[in-house]
Amino acid sequence: MCGTCGCSDPANEVKMVDPETGQETLLRNGSLLHEKHDHDDHDHHGHDHHHSHEGDDKPHVHGPNGEIISLEQAVLSKNDQIAERNRGWFEGRGVLALNLVSSPGAGKTTLLERTIREIGGQRQVYVIEGDQMTSNDAERVRAAGARAIQINTGAGCHLEADMISDAVKQLDPEPGSVVLIENVGNLVCPSMFDLGEKMKVAVISTTEGEDKPLKYPHMFRASEVVLINKMDIAEVVEFDEAQCRSNIAEVNPKAKVISVSAKTGVNFVDWLEVLKDN
Amino acid sequence: MHELGLSRNIVSIVRENAGDKPVSRVKLAIGPLACVETKALEFCWEIVTQDSPLDGAKLEIVEAEADTFLIKEFELEEVA
Repeated sequence: MCGTCGCSDPANEVKMVDPETGQETLLRNGSLLHEKHDHDDHDHHGHDHHHSHEGDDKPHVHGPNGEIISLEQAVLSKNDQIAERNRGWFEGRGVLALNLVSSPGAGKTTLLERTIREIGGQRQVYVIEGDQMTSNDAERVRAAGARAIQINTGAGCHLEADMISDAVKQLDPEPGSVVLIENVGNLVCPSMFDLGEKMKVAVISTTEGEDKPLKYPHMFRASEVVLINKMDIAEVVEFDEAQCRSNIAEVNPKAKVISVSAKTGVNFVDWLEVLKDN
Repeated sequence: MHELGLSRNIVSIVRENAGDKPVSRVKLAIGPLACVETKALEFCWEIVTQDSPLDGAKLEIVEAEADTFLIKEFELEEVA
């Protein structure tokens, strides 16, 4: 606990009160509140250097010259903070946000088009499109009937949380809707950057080879759902579905795997079920 | 090449904490599952630190567990 202000004192609780019933619920018991107020503003600090509290990421500065300053700060902490804010925003409105990741050409956009059409009026769908260049995908998605925002990352190889934050402000999705984020086609970097989504959905297609999950394990490990797309041409390209599923299971035994065809609509019901259940 | 963006993140975090004071060394901890290519990071480091208070700062990398990717500490330059 904080020795100077007692802010993580067990007595310092966070409660939720329902004024109608008078019911009190304990939300938090001290300790996690450091971000809520600024320690530097406490004038009862008797010394002029900050002391970091164990577990938080505040620096511990001792002097100006040749000093070593301990940070212990995650390099992606800024992105992660914004991502958490996004996540809270989505949760608060009951908006389901999914981060779709795949290599280029796996059929994410076609998948989105069919998803938008098949979900029909049941749930409003919004799309955030990430590509290095062009707004072709956003146009396609708009034509399919969803409001879309395109983010062009330029040289960047992935979307970051602040981009989603900006896009969501623009989109202003209605409560209870679905926000589908189509990440930049890339199986490497997007796995590192939390956007605030409920979960990642990896898309792999039958033309890519069954061993892709083994080649890019990070992405498949980070995804809760894996869609095997282009099942309509599986036979022609001699795709071994069982092998692919076993490779996915090897890197991520918990992943829910659905084999679909965004073109013909095979097993699309199962994918729509995921959207309904979350 | 997300290492370029990552190096920028590192520089901005260190600058936030060091102010305009010159920095001579930055120590990172990187785990094998962090998806960070240390060679690429070192390559970007010089470019990203140029003309900043971190110009010439040594990048020290220690191995860590799992997907750790932390700035452990940094050292301010000795001003005589």
